[in-house]
Amino acid sequence: MADWFSRHGGKGRHDPAGVEAGTAERPKSAIAHRTLGFGFFRKAVRFRFRLYYFREKRWFFYALIVGAIMLQLPLPEGLSREGMVVLAMTAVATILFVTEPIPLPTVALLIVVGQVFLLGIDSSTVAKSLMTDSVLFIMGSLMLAVAVVKQKLDKRLAWLIVRMTGTRTWRVCLGISAVSGFLASFVGEHTVAAMMLPVGITLVTLTSEDPKKVRNLAVVLLLSISYGCSVAGIATPSGGARNAIMIGYWKEFFYDPTSPETWKYLVSYLRWMAYAYPMFILQLPLVTAILLFSFKPEYRNLSRAVVKLRAQVESEGPMKTGDWVAIFIFALILCGWVFASGDVGMGTIAVFGAAAFLVAGLVRWEDVNSGVNWGVVLLYAAAISLGLQMKNTGAAQWVAESFLALLEPLGADSGYGLWAAVSVLTTTVTNTMSNGAAVAVLGPIVLKLAVVAEESPIILGFITAVSSAFAYLTVIGTPACTIVYASGYLKTTDFLSVGWKMVLMSTIVMLLVASVYWPMIGV
Amino acid sequence: MEEHDENRFRILVCIDGSEESYRSLRYAAKMGKGVEADIVLLNVRQMDHGLRSGGLQVSVARQNMLEWGLELPGIQYLKKGADILVEVGYMASDRRAEFSHVDVAGDPVGDNKISYIGRNKRRVILKLKVAADIASGILEQWEIGHYDLIILGASKRWERKKRRSFWDPETAEKVAMHAPCPVMVARQLLVGHSHLIYTDGSEIAKEVVRRDAQFAHLTESFVAIVAVAPDVESEPEAAKHAQEAREIVESMGIDVFDTIIRVGDPVEELIEAGADHSVIVIPDTEEKGLKSLFTRKMETDLMRRARCSVMVFR
Repeated sequence: MADWFSRHGGKGRHDPAGVEAGTAERPKSAIAHRTLGFGFFRKAVRFRFRLYYFREKRWFFYALIVGAIMLQLPLPEGLSREGMVVLAMTAVATILFVTEPIPLPTVALLIVVGQVFLLGIDSSTVAKSLMTDSVLFIMGSLMLAVAVVKQKLDKRLAWLIVRMTGTRTWRVCLGISAVSGFLASFVGEHTVAAMMLPVGITLVTLTSEDPKKVRNLAVVLLLSISYGCSVAGIATPSGGARNAIMIGYWKEFFYDPTSPETWKYLVSYLRWMAYAYPMFILQLPLVTAILLFSFKPEYRNLSRAVVKLRAQVESEGPMKTGDWVAIFIFALILCGWVFASGDVGMGTIAVFGAAAFLVAGLVRWEDVNSGVNWGVVLLYAAAISLGLQMKNTGAAQWVAESFLALLEPLGADSGYGLWAAVSVLTTTVTNTMSNGAAVAVLGPIVLKLAVVAEESPIILGFITAVSSAFAYLTVIGTPACTIVYASGYLKTTDFLSVGWKMVLMSTIVMLLVASVYWPMIGV
Repeated sequence: MEEHDENRFRILVCIDGSEESYRSLRYAAKMGKGVEADIVLLNVRQMDHGLRSGGLQVSVARQNMLEWGLELPGIQYLKKGADILVEVGYMASDRRAEFSHVDVAGDPVGDNKISYIGRNKRRVILKLKVAADIASGILEQWEIGHYDLIILGASKRWERKKRRSFWDPETAEKVAMHAPCPVMVARQLLVGHSHLIYTDGSEIAKEVVRRDAQFAHLTESFVAIVAVAPDVESEPEAAKHAQEAREIVESMGIDVFDTIIRVGDPVEELIEAGADHSVIVIPDTEEKGLKSLFTRKMETDLMRRARCSVMVFR
């Protein structure tokens, strides 16, 4: 550092009497820095960047070392060479997903490259595997998410909520969870969280401008949004990418158009709702109860905030033509998913819906383009592609058999024990990475596990997809949690203190529904 | 590069809304008054990771918040910081303000700056910055402004004896390792308490003693000197180093209220000795080569484990 005191002989308004100007040389690197004006990353060489690059990227190199070691190990019985390669790639990809030493889309690119170089698959074949209906759905639903948020219907929703629920705090929280959940079950939790976030913050700030006086209230209102969305994401196939991925896997793994016994593996929109929607409904009041029990809001009545919110909404005026067109297009998409997705695929409907919003001029392409993280689409595509290779190479079968062998001494190799084990495994994985990636990686293993254990792949697949939503423990666990955390009102520990109760509750509800309700509807 | 007066002392205070960051700001104001320093309050927001929000950019949610007329958290923190500077008399409430904005691709907020210019052209700048991660944002800000001191709060994870330290150097550690200026990692920082300056007799340590004594004097803090001998046989040498340091400080007209000689592991002894002081001051050890990759540096250990603030001088 160039010593300010040396340059000025220690002079200043409070010049310590008798300070001699230092004669120490300024460090050469500091001089070079000031005169040549390098940018930060080039100047990083001056900061011993050569070595700190490796330190910053160390998990990338650790992951490569793990992969290399796995490739050198002798082949276990029952596992092919290609299967070992896929397992090594999966292990490397998982480490990179969790630790993020490199940009995540880079992991997708490496998966593509790995399939070509290590598995010897033709590059066109790999490219084809990247674009399935599931990936189209992910892309389309993200575009729809941006389009829906841009319609500014959130204020109308806010007023609808407080009209239905009144001003008592617990009722407002329940209403927020219910409305958020209902919408999220169809359009995805990220969309609804982005829409409802300002509603929650406005209710907080209109109650009191001092954040310290409404700390618990803020937590309860904002977590009502995030957890209401999260529990709803499992309710319909369009509720989340993980659902579309599992539907795609059932079709890829088991469906044979020439064999009528396999037609049950084509799970329709309504059939999924029949399985999963009751789980969402049962969880809804329990979410509110858990939140109110964990954080007691400072205000039991939000009448002051509601009155001000009403004034804000009324200043919007009546619904405009564009609002009605947006609602119409959305209803059309919903009908398409329910009635036509079996024929043309959910992804096609989602992309059509995005196109409809663009054609109607309700959203600009620039907004869609900047609002969607296209690298994430690529990541999901690569993860699904890798999942398919797990099936094709027999790696999923081998892992399933090995996992079952581990569970056998615990008595968890069939029935409720196996269901619980699969749920615990999925919940653990999904709390460290995105739920879509968790299903993409675990789906093939779980479906093969079902075959080996002579359990229903439909049941185990549902358990996996539903359990992947139980990422309540961390900020990054679910998209809704990440989005509400951006408000600045929540601490990371808030998610942990409520999340473990949510995990317990959701797991119990899921297992109850699976054991009592599903047999009633003939799973 | 930001336009700034090379002759003016510049302090960068990292604000994250925590009480520690506001205590650091009060400390910076106290120091800055003595030298008519420019103070920059910086809040860094991390760029969004699309995967964590399911592929929908968090910027869409933020844009929605802005359209509701809601302030983003970083802006609230910076405004509170400005209020504190007015409260301690560092800044007048009716100062002239200049606003500037830099677009950041894909982010509706971008980088924003409000500059307040007072008499003697002393500046207070509120800066809201977007960066890949918090440490990079702080270091990039140094590149822009060439600060003479950076103050940031100790990582909360250190308090909980976090499990992630193996995974990722904390923000404070990264900044302290890479910044080319002195960095203070603040922990229960108090104005006007005491600085405990470490010396090992090297020329670098003597320079640090001289410079930090001036910092301490500006904040009306007491100065204490500490030297640590690895074993009993080296104790006389450590005492000699401490005496030399004391003479340097006293020749500047600054009193040294205590000289401490300890024997043992430098980090352990400094942690124990530092318990009665508000800041432990140490030079950068500048380990080079592969050794620096594998050995835990003294300042890193001290930053993690000390119970008070630590200032690394370079």
